[in-house]
Amino acid sequence: KSSTCVTPKIPDRCEPLSSPSNVLEEARTRLHVSAVPDSLPCRETEFEDIFNFVESKILDGTGGCMYISGVPGTGKTATVHEVVRALHRATEQEELPGFKYIEINGMKLTEPRQAYVQMLQQLSNQKATPDHAADLLNKKFTTPGPRKETIVMLADELDLLWTRKQDVMYNIFDWPSHRHARLVVLAVANTMDLPERIMMKRVSSRLGLTRMTFQPYTFKQLQEIVISRMKGLKAFEEDAIQLAARKVAAVSGDARRALDICRRATEIAENLSPSKTKLSLVGMSHVNAALQEMFSSPKVVAMRTASDQEKIFLRAVVAEFQRCGLEEAEFAKIYIQHTALCRIDGLKPPSTTEMARVCARLGSVRLLLVEHGRNDLQMRVRLNVSQDDVLYALKEKSGV
Amino acid sequence: MTKNRRRSKAASSHDASTPESAALKDSVGCVSQGDMSPVSLCQAVLRKQLTEGMSTYRNSEKGTYLGEGLHQEERQLLDLLRRTATSGESNSVLVIGSRGSGKSKLIKHVIAELLLDDHIRENLLQVHLNGLLQTDDRIALTEITRQLKLENTLGDKVFGSFSETLQFLLEALKSGDQSSKPILFLLDEFDLFAHHKNQTLLYNLFDVAQSAQAPICVVGITCRLDVIELLEKRVKSRFSHRQIHLFNSQTFEDFIVIFKKLLCLDVNFPDQKFAESWNLQVEQLAKDPTITDILRQQFEFTKDVRALQQLLMYPVCQLSEMSPSLSVSDFVESRKLITMDSKSAMLHGVSILELCLIIAMKHLTEIYEGEPFNFEMVYSEYSKFAQRKSSMQVFEKAVVLKAFEHLIHLELVRTVDGAGSRVQKEYRLMQMLIHPTQILDALQKYPQCPTDVRQWAASSLAT
Repeated sequence: KSSTCVTPKIPDRCEPLSSPSNVLEEARTRLHVSAVPDSLPCRETEFEDIFNFVESKILDGTGGCMYISGVPGTGKTATVHEVVRALHRATEQEELPGFKYIEINGMKLTEPRQAYVQMLQQLSNQKATPDHAADLLNKKFTTPGPRKETIVMLADELDLLWTRKQDVMYNIFDWPSHRHARLVVLAVANTMDLPERIMMKRVSSRLGLTRMTFQPYTFKQLQEIVISRMKGLKAFEEDAIQLAARKVAAVSGDARRALDICRRATEIAENLSPSKTKLSLVGMSHVNAALQEMFSSPKVVAMRTASDQEKIFLRAVVAEFQRCGLEEAEFAKIYIQHTALCRIDGLKPPSTTEMARVCARLGSVRLLLVEHGRNDLQMRVRLNVSQDDVLYALKEKSGV
Repeated sequence: MTKNRRRSKAASSHDASTPESAALKDSVGCVSQGDMSPVSLCQAVLRKQLTEGMSTYRNSEKGTYLGEGLHQEERQLLDLLRRTATSGESNSVLVIGSRGSGKSKLIKHVIAELLLDDHIRENLLQVHLNGLLQTDDRIALTEITRQLKLENTLGDKVFGSFSETLQFLLEALKSGDQSSKPILFLLDEFDLFAHHKNQTLLYNLFDVAQSAQAPICVVGITCRLDVIELLEKRVKSRFSHRQIHLFNSQTFEDFIVIFKKLLCLDVNFPDQKFAESWNLQVEQLAKDPTITDILRQQFEFTKDVRALQQLLMYPVCQLSEMSPSLSVSDFVESRKLITMDSKSAMLHGVSILELCLIIAMKHLTEIYEGEPFNFEMVYSEYSKFAQRKSSMQVFEKAVVLKAFEHLIHLELVRTVDGAGSRVQKEYRLMQMLIHPTQILDALQKYPQCPTDVRQWAASSLAT
């Protein structure tokens, strides 16, 4: 009990931070993912829904569950946090009775049953073993007590609370249904059909039917998010933001990605601008360079910069695939192809030891997928890139 | 960088003796230099140079060793780390490149450059983790708390459980804000961290980097090009997708420059006259046709600088008072040692009987087109040869079986279905791990090989 009183702390820095000195630096601080705005743009309806749900439960003094799903980076956790902030504000103005907010995250637990320990610690600052904590929580939620306020709980990364008996999930969804519990659970996960897929009948029925799905952001929404963060700051050209938004929306609709790309684009613009005092706006070319950096696959470049024998080995692999029509070949067969290709090019064919070295090197960067080297000549080799990519990468080089 | 410049200036003007001797001790290591001749001193310096690559001050001075292409990567990384250190911005980045492409060297160099600034040196905390040492999250977490010296806040309390350590660390990071000291996490062999259970450590590190907590910078170092695909989707979403790729993109001319740099003595060498003549000699070596030929062959195989260092190590080790200069024949010898086929070398050491068995197996593989064989088949093939064609002694079956087992121990022959099969060892299915060309090569060089064995090996289909 005593050890929790001491809050560990990272030591402070010796002198205060330097504040942003120019427009691009200011833009960069605003674009950082951690700089969450007070109200999230483009998530107004979701905010309303969750807010109304929790508010009604608090007013009625009952409990309930809500399941929120959506792909990563669509603002699930941020929206819930915003709802909680809004509710806190309402309590301060005494429009709402008081409530207690606790939060658990499946990824931040070492095993599912630690969720009980976390909940107990946040509720009553007690420390206990998982079993004991479960007992205490059970007693707290199922027996009528003097406690008056509602508890709002956010269970993030719900799928990691899965156990074989599913007791953790069961308890978390079962407690709100008790009359004295007054517990509101907001469960957040990525997959929409999680309750049907991994939960037992009795667990998913307790979860109830209050569901909400966060759709991936469309390009207009992403654009609005970036523009809202850039309000009153002239750092970006309009088209540049639109390009970033469109590209990200086409791939994943992840807001984190859009912000990261814009942030990287400001860095590129700062590096390319003629002087420190006169900074250029972030234009299409900068965003394009950032997109290239973040989305492009380095495999073609890796193949082009490989040494000659490594290139011949890749060609031999492709040749062997085409000869036998399979996507997998034995090292001994590739060795034959390789020596033939070396003779055509007028090079001295290497020994098997050297060939194995070349193969291992290509395997370590994962251009090839190889078995354990102990299988030696019988080692099976597969390509980790498409055959067309190999031919494209190697042809262009020989043409130059 | 200013320190280096000062150091080289001092060395060239020959006035201040302290920095000069310090620099020398630095480059020679613990070897005392008082009683050494120039040759052995030169050998010691070069050995050090070859095992550690170029000394860092040298490459910041001339700047060409990392290759012209790497300056951009260096600047990008330096900018990123500097922003974390000065303005408290959290970042994450992956440095990807094949083995021996200078990833760790780049990072070491960047950090050394960063720490030259006094403000940064006082503020920046570093945590070094390696995927090969921190094999699971529990070990990694205790290592992090140890390196951050966080256990001091609780006296010398040993942490109870894994989950307590995790909560403790997250608490510590959450309690920090922009004004606390920035932390630099270096994860070497990053791809191994992605194999930990649930990727908890990576999720938490990236999550801290993406939220308003203590400013951290996560730098992952890996050689896998597809490392992003190993990450789970929520971990991937939290990663900022900045990747710095290092490729061995040097041309052959660059390769020769690196060769010269690895062998040249620098200005800090005490005997300047010796150093000058030595460097002249290295220049001449680089123009020698035999050497260029060897280097070209090496270059065709790999552009890896580390492999080049291995190639140069043998000639340097051959230096002595008797032969005070690098000889071309030593380079030839060194290249031969590196490219030697290990299987052929091993075949030189087997007995005639074992050689006969290998030839019998070669014939079996050729006749049955790679189908596996067992000992009985090999034995009958061998006895056919031994009884009809050769003048050699015919061995008993038990002796032949012993020889066969010896070949299995050498892993020249391998069982098809693992060692644990319950089949009797005479009937166990085997496959040969030697290529026919290797057998023919080895026979050519085999000392005192009987002619009939050689003929038997050459006859393609023995009947």
